[in-house]
Amino acid sequence: MADNKNIVRNGKIRVAVDAMGGDYAPGEVVKGAVLAAQKDDVEIFLVGAADILEQELAKYRPTNGSFIHVVGASQVIKENESPVDVIRRKPDCSVAVAAKMVKAGEADALFSAGSSGAAAISAIQFIGMVDGMYRPALVGSLGSFAPNTVMVDLGANVDCKPDQFLAFAIAGSVYAKRFLNITDPKIALLSTGSEESKGNDAVREAHLLLKNSGLNFIGNIEGGDILNGKANVIVCDGFVGNVLLKFYESIGGYAQVWTEAKLKKHPPLRALVRVLFKGLFPATRISSESEKQGGGILWGVDGIVKIAHGASRAPQIANAIESAKEAVKAGVVESLKAELAKLDLSKNQPGR
Amino acid sequence: MSIEEQVKDILARITRVDKAIITRESTFKEIKADSLDVVQALVAVEETFGIEIPDEDAQKFQNFGDFVSYVESRVAQTEKV
Repeated sequence: MADNKNIVRNGKIRVAVDAMGGDYAPGEVVKGAVLAAQKDDVEIFLVGAADILEQELAKYRPTNGSFIHVVGASQVIKENESPVDVIRRKPDCSVAVAAKMVKAGEADALFSAGSSGAAAISAIQFIGMVDGMYRPALVGSLGSFAPNTVMVDLGANVDCKPDQFLAFAIAGSVYAKRFLNITDPKIALLSTGSEESKGNDAVREAHLLLKNSGLNFIGNIEGGDILNGKANVIVCDGFVGNVLLKFYESIGGYAQVWTEAKLKKHPPLRALVRVLFKGLFPATRISSESEKQGGGILWGVDGIVKIAHGASRAPQIANAIESAKEAVKAGVVESLKAELAKLDLSKNQPGR
Repeated sequence: MSIEEQVKDILARITRVDKAIITRESTFKEIKADSLDVVQALVAVEETFGIEIPDEDAQKFQNFGDFVSYVESRVAQTEKV
C-alpha cells in the first residue's frame, strides 16, 4: 500500500495506470495520463502492451516524458470476460500488474477505466483488504439536494452480510469527515420503516450491530428521508444503492421532459424551464467524486484504487488520476484503518 | 489437522461462514460462496497443498465433499511422486 515516507522522500505520488482498460484505451488513457503528468507531484506508470504504449506515448514525449514510464503487461481483460479470470487465467493482465505494483510498494495508487469488476477483483486478490472490510464499497455524496449526505454502498456489493453494513458505515463516515468536513457524521440505515424490526433479515441484523457499535447511529430512515439531511451517512446494500443512484440521476431529465410537455402552449415559459433545468439536472448526479474527480475510490482496499467509467476521455482520466493522488495525500486508507480499528469487527465475522 | 479440516478452514475464512455449518454435502451456493470466493478458495488450497487444480476439474465439484476428495487424491498423488 501507499508508503507516505516514500512520497515525502520523492516528492511525487506514483500512480499505476491500467492503460489497456476503457472504451478508448490506450489512446485516451495515455493522453489523460500525459495531462495529469503536467502537475509536478505525480509520477505515472502506464501498464499494458509496452510496444503499443511506447508508440502512443511518443506522440507526447517531447513535453512530458520524464515522469511517465511504461510497464509491460502481456494480457488484457476485456469487458465481456469474467472479472474472476484475472486471478487464474490472466494474472499478467494490465490491471492485475498495476495492482501488484501497489502491493509491492512500487506505486501508491492504481487507476483503471476498464472493467470495474476486474479492477475490484485485482484489488482484493493482489492488494488485499483492510482488516474489517470484506469487499470494496463505493461511496458517493448526494450533491446539491443533500450536500452533507453520502450513501454507501452504491453498487459494489449486491448481496451483503450484516457486518458489511457496519463496515460501510465506517467507510461513509471517513468519507464524510475527509471530503465533507463533517466532524461527527450521523449514520442511518436505509430501510422500509424507522422501527428496528423493519427490513429484510440482513438489514434487521445490521441494525443491531450498528446500534451496539458505539458509532453515531441514529437508526433507520426511509426513502423519504434520503434528501432531508437527517443523516450524513446512509447505509444500504449495493443492490438498493445502485438502483437508487440510477433513479436519482434520471429524475432531472424526466422532470424537464414532463414540465416542458405541460408548458407546450406557453413557449416563453417553456424556454425558461429549459434554462432552469440546465441547472437542476446536474444537481441529481450522485457523488462529487464522479463529477469532479472522474470516478470513484474502492473503499476498503488496502491501498488507493480509483475506477472510472469506461467511456472516460482524456480530461476525465486526468481528473481521476489527480484525485487518486489527492486520496493518497489525504491518507484515506490510513483513516479508514484507524476508524475500523476502534471497533472489534472480527467478532462479527464468523469465518474468522 | 486433516486435509478436510484445512480445506474447511480456508473456505470458512474466505466465505466468512461458521465452519460448523460446512458439511461434505454443502454446495457452494448453500454456504453463499460467490464465484470470487470459490476462485480465492481454489488459489488458497493450491498454495497450501502445493497442487494445481485445473478449471476443468474445479467445475465438476458439486459440493464441499467433492472438493475435499479431489484435494485428498491430488495430495496423495504428489506424496507418491
